[in-house]
Formats: sequence, C-alpha cells, structure tokens
Amino acid sequence: MNRVKTFKTILWAITGLAVAFGAARMIFGLGAVSNLSDATPWGIWKGLNVVPGIALAAGGFVVTAVIYIMRREEFHRYAKITVLLAFLGYITAATALVAELGLPWMVWHPIIYWQHHSALFEVSWCVMLYLTVLFLEFLPTPLESTGSLAAIRRFLTKYKLVLVFLGVMISTLHQSSLGTMFLITPDKLHGLWYSSLLPILFFVSAVAVGPLMLILAVLTISALYRKPIETDILAKLAGASAIVLGLFGLIRLIDLAANGKLGLAFDGSGSAVVFLIEFTIGVLLPVAILSVKRLRRSQAGLWVAAIAGVMGIGLHRANIAGIQLVHTGPTYVPTIYEIGISLGIISAAILAFLFCVERFRMWETPWEDPRQAPEAAPEFDRVADVWLGTPRIAGRTVYSLVFIVALAAGLAIVSTDRIESSGIKEVRAVPARGGDTLFVDGNLDGYGVSFAHKAHVDREGGNASCSRCHHMSLPHDQQSGCATCHSGMYTAADVFRHDWHAGPDGGNLTCNMCHATDRERSAESAKTCDECHKDLIPTNAQITVKQYMAPSYTDAMHGVCIQCHEQKAQQLAGKESLARCATCHGQRQTEYLPAGVYEQFRDTSFNRVITPPMATGGQSDGKDAE
Amino acid sequence: MKAILTDVTKCIGCFECVTACKTSHNLSNDVPRKWHRNDGLSAQNWSSIVQRPDNHYVRKQCRHCLEPACVSVCPVAALITTNTGAIIYDPDKCIGCRYCMIACPFGIPRYDWEEPVPYIRKCDFCHDRTTRGLQPACTEACPNGATIFGERDELLSEAHRRIAAEPDKYLDTVFGEHEMGGTAVLYISDIDLGFLSYPARRETPALPETTHLAMSAVPPTFIGMGALMGGLYWFCKRRDALAGKDKDKS
Amino acid sequence: MEALLDFAKGPLFRFSFAVMILGLVRIVVLDIWGAVNAYRRAGDKKLDWNGAIRNTLHWLFPVKHVFARRPVYSLLSIFFHIGLIVVPIFLLAHIQLWKAGIGLSWWSLPPVWADTLTLATIGFALALLIGRMGSAGARYLSRKQDYLWPVMLIIPFITGYFCANVVLGAGTYQLLMLIHILSGELILLLLPFSKIAHCVLMPMSQFVVALAWKFPARVDDEICTTLHKKGAPV
Repeated sequence: MNRVKTFKTILWAITGLAVAFGAARMIFGLGAVSNLSDATPWGIWKGLNVVPGIALAAGGFVVTAVIYIMRREEFHRYAKITVLLAFLGYITAATALVAELGLPWMVWHPIIYWQHHSALFEVSWCVMLYLTVLFLEFLPTPLESTGSLAAIRRFLTKYKLVLVFLGVMISTLHQSSLGTMFLITPDKLHGLWYSSLLPILFFVSAVAVGPLMLILAVLTISALYRKPIETDILAKLAGASAIVLGLFGLIRLIDLAANGKLGLAFDGSGSAVVFLIEFTIGVLLPVAILSVKRLRRSQAGLWVAAIAGVMGIGLHRANIAGIQLVHTGPTYVPTIYEIGISLGIISAAILAFLFCVERFRMWETPWEDPRQAPEAAPEFDRVADVWLGTPRIAGRTVYSLVFIVALAAGLAIVSTDRIESSGIKEVRAVPARGGDTLFVDGNLDGYGVSFAHKAHVDREGGNASCSRCHHMSLPHDQQSGCATCHSGMYTAADVFRHDWHAGPDGGNLTCNMCHATDRERSAESAKTCDECHKDLIPTNAQITVKQYMAPSYTDAMHGVCIQCHEQKAQQLAGKESLARCATCHGQRQTEYLPAGVYEQFRDTSFNRVITPPMATGGQSDGKDAE
Repeated sequence: MKAILTDVTKCIGCFECVTACKTSHNLSNDVPRKWHRNDGLSAQNWSSIVQRPDNHYVRKQCRHCLEPACVSVCPVAALITTNTGAIIYDPDKCIGCRYCMIACPFGIPRYDWEEPVPYIRKCDFCHDRTTRGLQPACTEACPNGATIFGERDELLSEAHRRIAAEPDKYLDTVFGEHEMGGTAVLYISDIDLGFLSYPARRETPALPETTHLAMSAVPPTFIGMGALMGGLYWFCKRRDALAGKDKDKS
Repeated sequence: MEALLDFAKGPLFRFSFAVMILGLVRIVVLDIWGAVNAYRRAGDKKLDWNGAIRNTLHWLFPVKHVFARRPVYSLLSIFFHIGLIVVPIFLLAHIQLWKAGIGLSWWSLPPVWADTLTLATIGFALALLIGRMGSAGARYLSRKQDYLWPVMLIIPFITGYFCANVVLGAGTYQLLMLIHILSGELILLLLPFSKIAHCVLMPMSQFVVALAWKFPARVDDEICTTLHKKGAPV
C-alpha cells in the first residue's frame, strides 16, 4: 500500500462512520446524537465546518480575482485547483449546515420567505448563488476530459470573466455577512472577539487565509503524488497573503485598543490565553515567517506558515461561532457522533478533491504520475492470495470494503437506547427521610415536599389505611419505602430482576416456571408477580400492579398524592389550595438534614440491586410457586 | 400594544400560571433532560418560576421585546411581531437554524431536541386567546393578581404608580420599560432581576440596531465591489497593453 | 451473561446485519461495474441475454438438468436451501425481535412447521456433508470452506431448536442462546465474503460467463501486441 492508498483508506473509513452517524442524526434527531442544548444551540458543525470552512474556501474568489481581474498570468496554473477547492469547501459547509439544521428539508425556504434584515438570510442567498457560480466555473474541467458537451464548455470558458466578477461580488457580501451574524450577540460574545468591525474582520481574514489554504492544498498534493513544487510562485502568493494577514492583525489590535479592551488579553483568564494563542499562530507566526524571503521560498517555511495561518484563522472563527460565545447551562463537549459527522464531511470532500486531481487535468502542465501510467502493475494481495487487478480496481475493492465495515461499525456504535436518546437524566431516587414528617426529595435538590406522614395516617384511619399508598412491598416486608421499587427519579425502573430469579438466590427457577413453553418468552406472556408472591400485594390496595416496570419516583409520588388532593380540593370548602403545587412544594429547604448530608447522598452511587430485607418473618415467597 | 405586568412582591409561587400555560398549550409532562438550562424553561415549559432567596418567586417567560432580536435574525420570517405586540412563531416556515436562540438576550427560545422533526418553542403571549378577546392563560390563572394583563402604557403607569406609592418596597425601576429597547412583559420588584437576561444591560439600544448598519451596507457593497473590480480590471488591462507596446517598441 | 447477551443482541447484531447487507450490495455493485467495463471493452457487443436468463432460471429451479440424473441430491439440496432461508426469516421468535426493535412484523411459520423444518434442515445438511465426503469427485473439487459451511450453518439451528423446545435451566438456556446468536452473527458476517455470496451473485454469474465468451483466449496478449506494448500485463 502506498501513501495515497493509506491516506484514502483512512478517509473512506471516516466517511463510512459519518454516514452511519448521519443516518442516526436524521432518524433519532439532534438530541440523541449531539450534545447541543438550549444553552449551546450551535456546536461543532457550525464552529468547525461552516464558519471557518467558508473562510478557507475564500481562495475561490481571491485567487481567481488575482488571475483574471489583476491579470497575473503566473498564477494561472492554480486557477482550476482553487475553484475546485472553493467548490468543495462550500459543499462541505453546506452539508454540515444541512446536518445541523433542525429541519434540513426546509433548507430552501429562504428562497421564498424573505427577511432582508437577517444576516443569515443574506448569507444563505449568497452561498446558494456562489455555489452555482463555482459549479459553472468548475464545470469546464470535467467536461474537458470527457470531450462531450463541448459547446457548454466553450460558452463557460468564454464568459469566465463574468463568473469571476460575480464570484468576487457575492463573496465579499457573504464573507462579511458571516461576521455580521455575530454582531447580534454583544452580551454573549467575549469582549476580545466582539467588535462592531466583525464584518470587515471576517472579510479581511477570508482574503488572507484563502490563498494560504490553496498553498496548503498544493503542498499536500505535491507530497502525496510527488509533484514538483513551484516554490517561487507559491512564495509570491504567500507574501501577498501575509500582507493581508498583517492588515487583519493590525485592524484587530487597533480596534481592541480603541475600545479599551486590549487589557483583557493579559488578564490571565482562559479566554485571554486562547486569544494570545490564536493571535500568535494565526497572525504573528505566519507573518513573521513569510516576511523573510528565504523562508518564504522554502518548502518548510510555506508548510508552517500555511498550516499556522489556516489553523489560527480557523480558531478565530471557531471562537466567535462557539467557543467564546457565553451561555449559561450545560457545558458543551461535542459527542463522538458530532465529531464523526464533522470529520466525515471533510474526509468526503478530500476524497472528492483527490478524485478530481487524479482524474482531471487540474494543472496546465501534467506531471508524471506513476498511478496514471497504463503500465501500472496489478497488485497481489498476499492475505487473500489473489490478484487485485489494476490499481484502480484494487483501490475500488479495498475502499468499498473499508467503507462498508466502517459504516456497519458506526451503526453498531450508535446508541438506540431510548432513554439515552431522549436526554433524560437517570437519577437514583433517594428514599424519604424523617419520622412523623417525611421529607420527600428524591433528587435531593431541596425542592422536595414535607409530607406529614403521621397526620395522614391518623386522618385516614390508622394502620388500616397503610395499603392505600403502600400498594406493594418486597417479599418478607410489610411497608417497603416508595423509592425501593420506584428507584428511578425520572425513568421507570425494572423491579423484576430476571438474573436474580434465575440465580441461586432467587431459587434457581427454570424458564418454564414463568414462561409457557409454547409461546415466545417475553415479559408480556410470562406469569405476573402475584401468581407466585401471594402476599406481595395487600388486600384493598388502591393501586394495582400490572407490569414489571415501576413508574418513575416523580410520577409515582405525584400519582399517589395529586388524585386524592384534587378530590379533596373539590369536596371540602376552603381547601381549594390543596390542588396547588405550592401547597406541598414550598421554598427550598435543606435544614431538615444534618449539614453535609446532601453532598453525601449526591456522591454516593447507590446500589441498584433491590435486596430483600433479612429480618422479619414472612411465611413463604416465590418458592411455593407451581 | 398589549403587555403583562408582574409584581414580584405579590407572587406566592403557587405555579398556577405555569400549570395554566401547560394546560392551555397542551404541553406534556416534563422531566429534566441533558439539554435543559436550569431556569425551568424547556420545550414543554414555556413559562416557569425561578425561585430566589428569601421567598422570592420570579416568573420567566418570553419578554416579547418591542424590537426583538429573534425576529430580526430569523432568515425566513418564521418569527413575527403581531399587532398586539406578541411575537409568534410559524412552524411551517422555520428551517431550524436556531439563530433566534443565539440572538435572544434573555435566552428564551427552546428547542425540541428529542424530536426528529423539531421546532422552536416559546411563549406566544397566548396569541389565539388574546385575538378572541381573552387574556393569556397565565394572568387569568393567577390567584393573587401578581401578574396582570393590559395595555402597555396603562400597565406602565400602573407600575410607576405602585412604585411611587410604596417607594421603600420596590426598586425604582420598571424592568422591561427601556431594557433592550423595551419589552412587553414588565416587572416591578424588590430584588434586582438582572439574572433574567444575559449580562444585564439597561437603557441600551435594541439589539437589531447592532446589525442594522452592516445589513444596510450590503447593496452598496455589492455594487461598490463590482465597480472596484471593474476599475481594477480596466487598469490592469491598460497596464498590460502599455507594457506590451513597450515590449513591441524595444 | 445477560450483559453479554444484550451486547450480542444489540450492537453486535446491528454490525453483522449491516455488514451482510452492505457487503452483498458491495459485491453486486463491484461485479456489475467490472462486467460493464468488460462489456465496453468487448469487441462483439452481442450478448446471449436469453441464454443467460434461461441458465439462471434452470439453476434456480434445477428440475430438468439435475433432477433426472441425481434426484436424491437435488431434493436434499432444494429442501436444505428452503429450510435455510425460510426458518430464520419466518420464525415467530425472530419476528417478535424485529417488532420489538424496529416495529416491523410479517407472516410467521406455525411453531410445529418451524420445528419440523429446523430438524429437517439439520438432517439435510448432514446428509449433504456425508454425500460430499462420500463421493471421490466431490472430494476432489471441495475446498476447506465447503466442509466448514454445512457445519457452521447448522449450529444456530441446533442451538435454536434446543432453546425453543427443551426444558432447560436458566444458565444452560442463556449459554445456548449466546452460542445461537453468535454463530448466527458469524454467518451473517462471513456471508458476503465467502461462497454463500452466491445468494446474490447467482444471477450475475451466468452473465459473466456469457460475457467471457466474448473474449477469445489470450486476448490480453493480442491487445498488447496491437498497442505495441508486448509483455505488459493488462
């Protein structure tokens, strides 16, 4: 396996994973696969693929303007590659946007529903138009090699200049409007990034980083396919880029100084450190390298400067689109699915890029590529003991295999657990504490209910009334607490321990003691609890148990109290308030427990096993079944 | 222009408004989910009560700004201001970009994260009730008159009247009178309500104005860039032609 | 044990099922792709479509060709294939799992039929295996996987039958169930990469054979000579 093949194999694997994750995102929804939240509505897709991605694709208009408008013929050799890079860059951003939209099939709505005050409306229109322009600019290249549709190719080549003009005009608008989008967040965006000059900063940084991205792509292709590098021409492009990058840095510094926010950069906070890193690698490092002629003309210098510039400006955009956008609420850390989709979109774009580079004439002077020579030898796979055919066929075989295995692995990883994808926090309910007055607070947040247990018992008629609420107890027990079975604070809990009943502690029951042999074994077709545990459900219990799942603690508590309370509120004069939440749920109180108990209970991970109490003498339990 | 005035000192925290809101909008039961913020609002709770120290209960709901950031940023006009001042949402237009959630200075709009077909959820000022001449479900349900419904100017003068009557009891501000360009949901309170918004800003211009200049510069920029590029093209072509002539001569 | 069972029923099943489906799609696509390329290169574009379709049908319903000559073998083979396909797909227990998982359900075999067919399939597989080992000609043609596959295919049938019909202790039941699931998943995983792939490639093979007639022997050498590149591999 050569370099290119290894590289492509990895990319295919990531793409396969992303396809699986993308399918999960479409089927189960955003909440199931992402960590996006009401506090962080935009995540890695916006902060990595869309906002920085659009900047990195800016070479499409910058370099074409240099070639066709400023008529710098020496860069003409990069005309096709820069258009391709921009085209794929915009497709990447658009795909990520589709993944991120809640209703992706409505993505065309800005065409018919106009709202010209919105920067996003403007951006979406421009991106749609510019994608069309880029497509038309790119179209002649593939047509060239097929030889068909020559009329279209000639027409598009003839009016190339019109497309270039449109490209520059549209790009100027949406590159800057992307910055305008974040003008609306003066209170949320950190002071080091918020500026009324954001549109200008976005435009200038895009102009600076577009050519750097092109240089990076050219260097990568050269490294992968051993294509000779024209360092002197790249150096000219890089030099111009450095000037714009310097301008960007200057505007930022002057703007910060003018608004008196420069001090924020040195206050030692996390944001300040991020700012310093961003400014150093994004502006200072590339400008410093590229201003030295010898470094600018060296491969290493170009590599470092291009990577630093791309990363730095990318980080700048990511900071504005997410990292430094303050929200109160759950902290956002992207899930593996989000990262997978994000990288998968990029991988697919790189694959498409390499495909075009291998397939079409992207340079005016074709270089000798051993892979394209007709004599290329078939490869022999020692493991499978077969000839793989020509490299192209061999590649096809390997890539498709890697792709489907990765896709299947992705489908296997995706959690189909309903509770997990519904985002409900699984909290073990804490039993009520206290004596005559119980404090019922299953999640120990202090907003519980002081329940006058003794008063209720007295009012309802003493011990005979126990079974009104205590509708079921563990074997050998009379009054199991509510949280014993209703152990999930917000989720229903399985009270029937299958493995326990089948094990030695549960009597080594065989399957057919509960499951009929002629039917499929399932919870629905099995015996109910009270068929074996005759004493489990007390006589005259108001609540009957029909299933093996105990409703959540919250549901159980509300269910047992509210019904009665609402009745009484209607029956008794002057007791209307009984039906109100605040009658039971008062102010937060923590004093009923000794200090530190909250923390103690919060941290203890409760054993989820329901253990039957050893004391007390019940007569018989499940063993007398049959 | 309708409004809601909430008197924080009168609220007893009975949650009747929250329950009424849920009932009138057919919202299902809610449990804590990983994407919730801790203020009680969610896709199933469009109105909540934030408990503050010393028996203070503060209603939290959409503020229905007079110059709403969410309406100005929505790319498809799915959020609009009605003539009663309510900001309502059209799910048929929404594309799910969630820009409104980014833009809202009070952090109100919530999302149906668990749904494969999700929508923005927020208080709609009981638009269908108010158009039928009823008052919103929450103000109707309040047993203590802590939150009331009416014309905005009347409620404003009522708020100022209460503050003037008992200056020791209230802070000397009507929250929402000028905040973010003014909101339709007003508060008077004995505690500071800065926690209801992102870093509190008062008497500031409304958020849409921050993008207004940039957005109005869009058409001139488009034409200007075209003209600039045209000029540049002409200049470069001329330069090349002259250079070519020189070359021919020499 | 229950955790292991859950893993085998959940992620592992999704993985192997997806590999099976995608793998089968992959080989069909690659084969068609290769065949189309070969067809484009072929000099004589006239393909014997009717013959290929006729051959395919003949092999799908091998009544005429083989039945007359080797009736026992043919019958065994046909019923073995029917059992192999029908039982896993139309078993009530499997359908209930699909229903619980993704909500789809379809017609199911009556339990008695299912049991009978299961036992029959096990028997047929063993008979076929013995037949292969008994015949010298078949032995000569057989590869290792030809012996392994019948054995591997009947493992889930045997374990499945025991789980469904025999009264077992819970531990044994779970162990057998685990073997049942894992062996079934192994079959799914290997399916597209082994001779079992004939389940989708069967129709294609006749076309590939038909296509192959269009290339005379040593055609590659001739092409190379014409291109003045003698000795280069094609």
